[in-house]
Amino acid sequence: MPARGANTASDASSSASSTFDRLLYGNQQTQSQPQRPGFVIEEASPEDEAIDPGYTTWARPFTMSARTASASLIPDLYTSLPLIRDLLNTQTSQVQDKTIHECLPFLSGAEANIQQLNAYGVPHLARKRHVQFLHKNLRKLPAPYVAADASRPWMFYWVLAGLHALGEDISEYKERLISTIRPIQNVTGGFGGGNGQMSHLAPTYAIILSLAMVGGKEAFDLIDRKAMWKWLGALKQPDGGFQMAVGGEEDVRGAYIAVVILTLLDLPLELPQESPAWSREGATFLTGLPEWVGRCQTFEGGISTKPDAEAHGAYAFCALACLCIIGDPHVIIPKYLDVPLLISWLSARQYAPEGGFAGRTNKLVDGCYSHWVGGCWPLIEACVNGPSSPGAGPDTQSSVRSLYSREGLIRYILCCCQDQSKRGGLRDKPSHSSDSYHTCYVLAGLSSAQHKWHFNASAVEMESSGTLSSPYQWTSEIFVEDSQIYDEEDRVRTLHPVFVISEGAAEEMRAYFSSKGGF
Amino acid sequence: MAPKASKPPKAQPEAPEPPREHPSISSLHQDLYQSSRPFLTLAQTKGISPLTPTEKSAYAKSRFLETGVWRTWPAPQQKEFWAAVEKQNIPIPLPKPRDLGKDSRGQELGTYTIEEYAQYRKRERQLQGLRRESVRFRDRREKIQDGEVSEGAVEDERNRRKLIGLLQGNRMGLYEGNPEWDDVVPIPQDDGEGALAQIAYTDEYAEAMGYLRAVMAAKEHSPRVLTLTEHIISLNPAHYTVWLYRASTLFSLQSSLTEELEWVNEVALENQKNYQIWHHRQLLIDHLIPTISPDAVKALEESERGFMTQMFEQDGKNYHVWSYRQYLCWKLDMFNETELRSIEDLLRRDVRNNSAWSHRFFVVFSDPKYATQGSKATDGYFEAPQNQSPWNYLRGVLKKGGRDLASLEWFAGEFVKIGEGEEEDVRSSHALDFLADVWIEKGENAKAVKALGLLGDKYDRVRKNYWDWKRAGLKEGGVGGAASKMEALKVGF
Repeated sequence: MPARGANTASDASSSASSTFDRLLYGNQQTQSQPQRPGFVIEEASPEDEAIDPGYTTWARPFTMSARTASASLIPDLYTSLPLIRDLLNTQTSQVQDKTIHECLPFLSGAEANIQQLNAYGVPHLARKRHVQFLHKNLRKLPAPYVAADASRPWMFYWVLAGLHALGEDISEYKERLISTIRPIQNVTGGFGGGNGQMSHLAPTYAIILSLAMVGGKEAFDLIDRKAMWKWLGALKQPDGGFQMAVGGEEDVRGAYIAVVILTLLDLPLELPQESPAWSREGATFLTGLPEWVGRCQTFEGGISTKPDAEAHGAYAFCALACLCIIGDPHVIIPKYLDVPLLISWLSARQYAPEGGFAGRTNKLVDGCYSHWVGGCWPLIEACVNGPSSPGAGPDTQSSVRSLYSREGLIRYILCCCQDQSKRGGLRDKPSHSSDSYHTCYVLAGLSSAQHKWHFNASAVEMESSGTLSSPYQWTSEIFVEDSQIYDEEDRVRTLHPVFVISEGAAEEMRAYFSSKGGF
Repeated sequence: MAPKASKPPKAQPEAPEPPREHPSISSLHQDLYQSSRPFLTLAQTKGISPLTPTEKSAYAKSRFLETGVWRTWPAPQQKEFWAAVEKQNIPIPLPKPRDLGKDSRGQELGTYTIEEYAQYRKRERQLQGLRRESVRFRDRREKIQDGEVSEGAVEDERNRRKLIGLLQGNRMGLYEGNPEWDDVVPIPQDDGEGALAQIAYTDEYAEAMGYLRAVMAAKEHSPRVLTLTEHIISLNPAHYTVWLYRASTLFSLQSSLTEELEWVNEVALENQKNYQIWHHRQLLIDHLIPTISPDAVKALEESERGFMTQMFEQDGKNYHVWSYRQYLCWKLDMFNETELRSIEDLLRRDVRNNSAWSHRFFVVFSDPKYATQGSKATDGYFEAPQNQSPWNYLRGVLKKGGRDLASLEWFAGEFVKIGEGEEEDVRSSHALDFLADVWIEKGENAKAVKALGLLGDKYDRVRKNYWDWKRAGLKEGGVGGAASKMEALKVGF
């Protein structure tokens, strides 16, 4: 049965074998030729192929140890090599094989360090250790952390969002968060990476979201909204996008973060007159923005950091979340993006046996894409299903429940991403150390896989409604499956599908500023 | 136990101990103190009444000496007093030794050996002299107009401060020790009370950042700012503020941008994952291009391509380098054969390098000159048919050219045998996916349903939900099905 075997070069040479260009640009007569010149650069017998010595060993079906034999409910999808494999050896295939090899023991329950598996062969969420790990990241950090000196506010956000997902009360950090953030704000608007650093959208995003999560008048009043509005004006570009800092790079992160700030702080959409994008015709912060985001979709279907670059998972989330702030998902996403192509690309980011997501075509699985790619699904599913009407059951016949494998993702997260040592925390893959970034986004991905989000067309009518009110119409419920592979105690809390913070926090912040009226 | 007072004194005060070895300066001081007051100590330990008359007399004289009361006496009486003191050989009592304090490292000076302490005192005297000189230098410079202090005097002062640092035992900060920075008062970092995730900076980094904050606050753009920013970048290359401020300083000084590019190359090679370097480079190129000849632009294209090739040797998928490359293609009009050949070299090395595929698509289709032509013949792209990159590329090319997927049905079919009466042989799930779309396009739904079923149940099971969703749309066929929804979504695009 050849289907099970790996593809070899000699197979290829005897089959489809035109040059790429003839394929695409003419010489159509080749279509009728059953035999074509060799596809390989040199005719090579399979014996001549340079095959990684390790490869042949891995090619054998993975055998489970006696210990794991009881965990009979692990589908072979997650314990064996992919059905179709090419033998051509390149750097990409080498690191991919190495990664599979690294993950298989964790996925099949053969890893000795994992103490307890449930009936589905899945370890528990080491909640207590992850909580401790996150707390530790807000304590005094040693000198090598100087590399994070310009991105320190991210740690506040990652830790707080992660702790919330794990069910912790984060209010103990409220006062210190406020006093830490105060000297980071610039009088010219926005926040930098630390005291005396230039304002930049990335730390500003992390800070606004952190303040939203701790909530309250004192936290909100800390933000100089008028200065923020002016600074955002300086970042807005005539082509529709946003720079990350004055004179900094323009990319799709900027597009997402700018509208997050505009909506959460309920800032006016008209541009300050000093803005490089200001025009007599009355250009606003949103002028040309969704079009610019649309230009970031590549021929592959995914989204790149800016027009012309390579499709990348992190930017897919930024683009979708940006659009879902500007409008309702089912209306705005199809208006600016080729949805079927995007879905196909997003879907192709999930690999087996790993189960988790990779960020780009032919790149490796990484826990953080559990959010960057995984977090796209609620937005895309809302786009495909349209709004849920209030009162109607959540899952009507024609609506799609999931477009990806929640089981695969949850298996990857619980089996491969948890640091099972005393250290705790979550990680990229087993060979990597845990850090607060991965802990936050792996948990966000887990949360998204364990819940179902609904976009409600008119369920919530915003008081001051009008602009940018779409992201406040989401509601969540527990996602129920016939056979749930994780125990109920391992379910984490929800994080908002657009803002990625505790549910309700965005609404509270927006309402506070809306009620103020003006600056 | 018998009271100690009945014992005879250990040593006769009249015959003091010979000098002995002292482990520390404070023990010497203590010893000198003790040996300067034999009769006072004797009276203190024994009481006065058991003393002999001679001892009593010596004790009284010691007290007069200690209190200094003899100074109030008339001169003849003083003379008589001193004669008696000399005769009885009564030492003059020393004041109680004071605490010597601590050195710069927090060590008690009292624990120094006698020799160490002597050296310490010598050093302190030297330091005082140097500090006085340093203050005089600053005063002098303040009095005269800018730039009047001679190079030599500045150099002397620099060396003086090095010496001060050396003698102090803790070196002066790089900027504190440099007279050229004397006009800047560093601004310390305000971290707020009980700051979260506070970083324990090294002294070197903390000092440099203090000066940067001050310089930025004064909006100073001078050559010394380039030195300062280079220093901070070497300590923390991810510091966007420093990069942006450096760029604006370079431009306002009209510094050599080619020199800057060379320096940036080194930093980039050492910091593969760095984000900021590539934006900085882009700013440099933006400023450089209008100032150089077309020949120089051509040479720049060559050297930039060479440098990126070097970067790709370490990581052929470095996202920042690729994004920069797309920018550069627009900037230098690099839509040419050399660029395509360079991409092909990378694909030959790793045909799965999707970044290279993406760039190829960009080069071929972004410039009208090449949009219809494509690249030269290259073999081997489908040698590994389960490689998704060329399949995505192929779909992209067909779409750009407005051609049906069906025009390449024969090609995808080479990797898939699932027909009636055929032995099933699928060597690429991407070919099967391609065929499914071909058949949807042609309205051959039954074949498409079979293909999607095989994908979901056998060849790409982790994506089963996706394949099933696509298939469900086909089966439903009519309005409301997933496929027709997809078509509706397409119309919007």
